[in-house]
Amino acid sequence: MIRLSDLEHDALVELFNIGVGQAASAMSEIVSETVTMAVPAISFLNRAAAAKLLASKSTGSGRICGISQRYSGAFDTDAILMFPEEKSQEIVRLMVGQAMPLDELTAMEQEAMSEIGNILLNSCVGALANIIGHELHGSLPDYHVGYSQDILALSGDSETVVLMLHIEFVVERQQIAGDVAFIMDMSALQDLKQHVALYLARAFGGEQP
Amino acid sequence: MKPSTVLIVDDSRVSRMLTRQHITVRHADWVIEEAANGNDALVIARDLQPDLVLLDVNMPGMNGVDAAAALREMLPNAHISLLTANVQAATRQRAEAIGVGFMEKPITAERIAQLIAPLEA
Repeated sequence: MIRLSDLEHDALVELFNIGVGQAASAMSEIVSETVTMAVPAISFLNRAAAAKLLASKSTGSGRICGISQRYSGAFDTDAILMFPEEKSQEIVRLMVGQAMPLDELTAMEQEAMSEIGNILLNSCVGALANIIGHELHGSLPDYHVGYSQDILALSGDSETVVLMLHIEFVVERQQIAGDVAFIMDMSALQDLKQHVALYLARAFGGEQP
Repeated sequence: MKPSTVLIVDDSRVSRMLTRQHITVRHADWVIEEAANGNDALVIARDLQPDLVLLDVNMPGMNGVDAAAALREMLPNAHISLLTANVQAATRQRAEAIGVGFMEKPITAERIAQLIAPLEA
């Protein structure tokens, strides 16, 4: 298991906090509503425990609409944006406006959610890449609907311990809560740890804080 | 005055639709064409000779940056801008290097107004 010092842990939370702040700002523009976010929680979990955590917070049918993108470069990660399935049409309606007939809206739901995922995940990852000064190359978005264990099973090896960055944001008036998770294996986490150390060294002028 | 022509290049149908909607609200008479990737954009642009081209970056086939570079040579007088969720500094620098604009998503009426402003001058 990779160990982070308290300072590295704080720095990692702050980096993802900035990234998700960017994503929340983009989400706010998409839905024309205030979007608030909780301070990110970082935990080392296996996939089953991560799925259990997400399921414990879910409401309604428990099924999730997940949009995932694979990023590679400075470090490799699968980023997943998740919303309750029953809220996705509401989100698309907020994006495209009231004028579109329901049948057309339903037909374009998957595509619109993929684009929302693309914008939010890239806002977040882009902010991170800019801070650490290294590029991350993203794949095209993939859209899936299922239970949390199905969504999280889409990436990586089921036995791998993953770093779960779990961040909740809420579209206030609509009462829509979403989650972003970044799944990394140990090798990717080692790369990320190195970038965090470099970031800290730059931030403190090369001096060990 | 001749209506302007605009080419929207994005693999997301909803993004093309939103961009078109924000332009049409202001200029119902403008000619707007769409392409879902860079390769198709080059083919359409050859005939259309658009005044403005807006390109997403991450698309299947030819990406928006490569397409923008080719379009810059093909259409030296056109206004060309990336319109993308990829907000990384590296992407902005590439846009600057090939002489095209950069605008981040999400697509809003205000951002589209900024992008079409040069055609309204």
